[in-house]
Amino acid sequence: MQPVNVVIAGVGGQGNVVASEILATALAACGYRVSVGETFGASQRGGSVMSHVRAARGETPGPLIPKGLVDIVVGFEPLETLRIIADYGRETTRVVVNPRPVYPLAVQAGEASYPDSRDLLETLGTLAAEVTVVEATELARRAGDVRAQNLAMVGALVGTGWLPIRPDAVVRILGERFADEMLRLNREAFRLGLEDVRQRV
Amino acid sequence: MGRRGPSELQTQVLAADLCTACGACLGHCPYLKSLGERVAFIHPCPRSEGRCFDVCPRTSLDPESLDRQVLGAPRRHPILGGYDGLYFARARDADVGARGQYGGVTTALVLLALESGMAGAALLTSGTPTREPRAVVARDRDTVLAAAGTKYSACPTLEPLAGLLRESSEPVAVVGRPCQVAAARKVEAREASGRLAPVIGIFCFWALTPAFYRFLEGRRDLERATKLDLPKDGGMTFAVNGRTATVRLDEIRPFIRPACQACFDPTAEWADVSVGSTEHDAAWNTLVVRTARGRDLVERARAAGALEVKPYPLERIPVLEEAVQRKKLRVLDALDAGQPEVAYLGLREAQRAAVRAHGRA
Amino acid sequence: MSLHALGTDAPGQLVILSGNEAIARGALEAGLGYAASYPGSPSSEVLGSLGALARAGGFYAEWSTNEKVAMEGAAAASFAGVRAMTVMKADGLNVALDALTSLAYSGTKGGMVVVVSDDPGAHSSTKEEDTRYLVRACHLPLLEPATVEEAKEMTRWAFDLSEAVGLPVVLRSVTRISHARGSVTLGALRPAPRTARYDLNDRFITTSLFHQVLHQRIGQTRARFEQAPFNSCEGPAAAPRLVIAAGPSFTYAREAVRLLGLGEEVRVLKLGTTWPLPEDFLGAHLKGAREVLFLEEIEPFLETEVKSYWAQHAAELGPVTFLGKASGHVAGAGAPGVGELTPEIALRAVGALAGREFEPRSEAFARKVDRLPLHDLPPRALAFCPGCPHRASFWAIKAALELDGRQGVVLGDIGCYTLGAMQTGYFTLKTVHAMGSGVGLASGFGKLDLLGFTQPVVAVVGDSTFYHSVIPALVNARYNDAPVLVVVLDNSTTAMTGHQPHPGTGRHATGDLAPALPIEAIARGLGVPTEVQDPLRVDETVESVYRLLKTDGAKLLILRSPCVLLPSVKRLRRAAVDPARCIGEACGCGRFCNRAFSCPALVWDRALERARVDDVLCSGCGVCVDLCPRQAIAFQELASCSR
Repeated sequence: MQPVNVVIAGVGGQGNVVASEILATALAACGYRVSVGETFGASQRGGSVMSHVRAARGETPGPLIPKGLVDIVVGFEPLETLRIIADYGRETTRVVVNPRPVYPLAVQAGEASYPDSRDLLETLGTLAAEVTVVEATELARRAGDVRAQNLAMVGALVGTGWLPIRPDAVVRILGERFADEMLRLNREAFRLGLEDVRQRV
Repeated sequence: MGRRGPSELQTQVLAADLCTACGACLGHCPYLKSLGERVAFIHPCPRSEGRCFDVCPRTSLDPESLDRQVLGAPRRHPILGGYDGLYFARARDADVGARGQYGGVTTALVLLALESGMAGAALLTSGTPTREPRAVVARDRDTVLAAAGTKYSACPTLEPLAGLLRESSEPVAVVGRPCQVAAARKVEAREASGRLAPVIGIFCFWALTPAFYRFLEGRRDLERATKLDLPKDGGMTFAVNGRTATVRLDEIRPFIRPACQACFDPTAEWADVSVGSTEHDAAWNTLVVRTARGRDLVERARAAGALEVKPYPLERIPVLEEAVQRKKLRVLDALDAGQPEVAYLGLREAQRAAVRAHGRA
Repeated sequence: MSLHALGTDAPGQLVILSGNEAIARGALEAGLGYAASYPGSPSSEVLGSLGALARAGGFYAEWSTNEKVAMEGAAAASFAGVRAMTVMKADGLNVALDALTSLAYSGTKGGMVVVVSDDPGAHSSTKEEDTRYLVRACHLPLLEPATVEEAKEMTRWAFDLSEAVGLPVVLRSVTRISHARGSVTLGALRPAPRTARYDLNDRFITTSLFHQVLHQRIGQTRARFEQAPFNSCEGPAAAPRLVIAAGPSFTYAREAVRLLGLGEEVRVLKLGTTWPLPEDFLGAHLKGAREVLFLEEIEPFLETEVKSYWAQHAAELGPVTFLGKASGHVAGAGAPGVGELTPEIALRAVGALAGREFEPRSEAFARKVDRLPLHDLPPRALAFCPGCPHRASFWAIKAALELDGRQGVVLGDIGCYTLGAMQTGYFTLKTVHAMGSGVGLASGFGKLDLLGFTQPVVAVVGDSTFYHSVIPALVNARYNDAPVLVVVLDNSTTAMTGHQPHPGTGRHATGDLAPALPIEAIARGLGVPTEVQDPLRVDETVESVYRLLKTDGAKLLILRSPCVLLPSVKRLRRAAVDPARCIGEACGCGRFCNRAFSCPALVWDRALERARVDDVLCSGCGVCVDLCPRQAIAFQELASCSR
């Protein structure tokens, strides 16, 4: 059986590693054997990063998703989301994306331009089977800290229902991983992302 | 103004070692900085045109155009530039006289400009003669007095000017070397009409690099000198603890800024007044009154009892002219030879001929 | 990091661990007593997790000054009969190699496992080095796990092997194990011993007399490898097409066979014990193979070893076509052996073996992607974090050198500040080599004045790097009176690898307090004039560097300001641009803050034609406040801005 393949795409420092860990743990709680392929270290310094989260019944899958087999892209940043869909996606790929740009150095220095946000989202729409836009940074700000954007996105993903993950499983996992204010913040960000998507359906 | 900017400033002036460290390009933009009397771009500026090129006295200097701007008429004297009166002068105030290099005239005139309201602030060069000087914005007597006395290196005194002109509307007095006077006039023409009052030029035949101060650090006998001087009969003197030590001029020459060889204007021809040594009597200064504002300043100073003035001894005028002409002739030779370091000078053949012809029967 | 899972005594429980955590767990299940390491991506989290568990677990874990010292510490424990582990990245093995080649001769006692993490594709490294060649040169047993779970199993097994043959055993991991996560079944924990003792009848002397003994031990290792549970073969026994794979390439091979539907046509041989080769096992599976494809990282190591074995036994094995990196059949966009071996490369190579292709996307989709202006999308270069003191340091060093005007040369080293060679550091660094090389090179450049060299020399090093390998080079510079300026960028942590402590930070790997060994005390003790400066005060730093460049001899300038990612650094304020004062593109600015200084939190707002501070990214360091030529940037206190 084919594994379920999810890519979390973003910019170094946006918290994709924590998000992938939570997601993988939640999938394991559903009975899957999981694998996560990460790249961290130098890429955290503002470079493009992606986490490959794979879940299978039976044998543990390899850590990297072959190109063209991605089922879901969780995009923390719209430009990176486009790159990942172009490289790894296919016509059945579904996307949940935070539209807030993080500008590369070349753009700030005036040597390159960042595509128009509407164009970006539109292009994503032509490539993916489904695109759900979530203002995760704003939701995280409401929860108390913009850096919890990653958990708001996990909440949004769970809210889409594309994966058989139950919200209370994630809430419990967060309790095993965090404490005090961090726990409150992450649970709240997760809840806001979850409800933001659920109330659209 | 022309479509030229930082990149031309870099190639034509900075990289060519022609910068006089006047400071005019500094203080307006963050790309140009100065340390150790050296001016450099600390980061490349992306613009193709800019103020830096426009105000630099070494990107281009057009004596005729400056004569029209400052004097309102072509010069009558090919060697000394336009002037209305040539004098010996000295400060009447004993304090001022004591602090000054010679007669204390510059200090007296600056004090009067501030006290009379002609200027709201004065841009001066401050420090002790054996250490790198700094620009200072003076608004009170004590600060002006502390800035008295000759400094022998090229301090980029004009650095605070851009900020001063931007942040208030008060007139600014400027005391500078001839290159700084020329730069100040270019600033005035570009953006500060009527804001510079007065511009006082200091005679200058060359300035030293900061390597001179390091030389002094190695000379225990000299580094605590309270006064330096270049008396007429050769050598540089150092007054230390009541005694005077002398260093031969050829020990000092290696520290002369190479850019000074290309200078055509030792008497600050575009100042309101120019002040220098008499090379004759250390109690007095040479004072050249050039413009109407310069005349007004000197008259007010005399009326207030701050300045004493007497006619320049006729027999000494050829001595002054000869020294100045000698420097100008060296530059003319370089111009004729097509040397690039003097290419900034816009001197028509008629002007060159007039300089050459002066004093010859 | 799922620490609670890592330390749980719950054999049989299924958890998710990273490869590094799995290795740590394997050591704990083997009764580890001593662990020492120097941080190096992708290996750092092994000691990171052990350090957090050491106190409760009753074992010793330390961050050592460098990998050689770490290896020697572990060797000591081994000599005292304690199971010990040392962990490093590939470059770290280079540093520790003299110790390891010596240990191969002297032998060890308590099980000693050397964990080395290579980085195919150099995701977090300056080189992609295949350390298997070094392990072979040491003549030491080499293990390569293919999955996160296998990394745990192999680590535990490696201790037993080490004690059986009396040699350190090398477990060679890669990024796709170390930094991957996977499902792992926990085993039983074994307590650390309390019997550490050096038996005076033992001697661990490195002497060439033991070279023969080493070869005997390797022979014993080979015998054990024949029975090891980490080598296997799947697929039809008679298939003439054989894939030999080691490491995570095995999982790519297996997935490729499945996706291509080649389960009945291709055999996959998994090797987990890769040197010395289990020759009997290998020979048995090579029989009948006509085409052999190798999938391994990074270089064609196995490919060459197997071909050499085949050459020895060609008569029995018959003709075989070998396909791999050495033959050019397995390659990515670069040359074979350059860049990471990805699942796509594996799919292509396995597919080519059987004349099949794998294309999961529709033509329509592929055409849509082709039409995208992907090469027009702005690339994302690495950058110092907003507020990173290195940005300010490089800005000041560059400015000071321009003002100095003698074309000074700046030599770099390894750490976050290596980015000083890129745009984010204004391309300031001109050389980058090994840990400590910056000062070594500086010492050399400094003595070229005899041969006409007139350029000032600056070496930029980090605080952790200083303790690691700069000290001997600094001694050399001082001893030989080389006129060099060593600038230590002291951000009070080992940042690039994950903020591990070091001898200057006052903390141990366990989190306990440690004596702090100030860099300035060491340098001054050597007679090297040393100053300390806050790099966020840029004008002062420019003047300090400028002044020091004009002095003689070796001197040290410590630019000290904590890494903004440290939890102890609180965000108290933000910067904000006053659009009324900002002059943007005009002469006198030219977008100085976002274009020239180039902090990621400084954004050019095209609509407003003004600079803007991204309040999500800004850390409040204040350098832009000082640099703005129109004082258009000011602080906002935290209360007045929403986070």
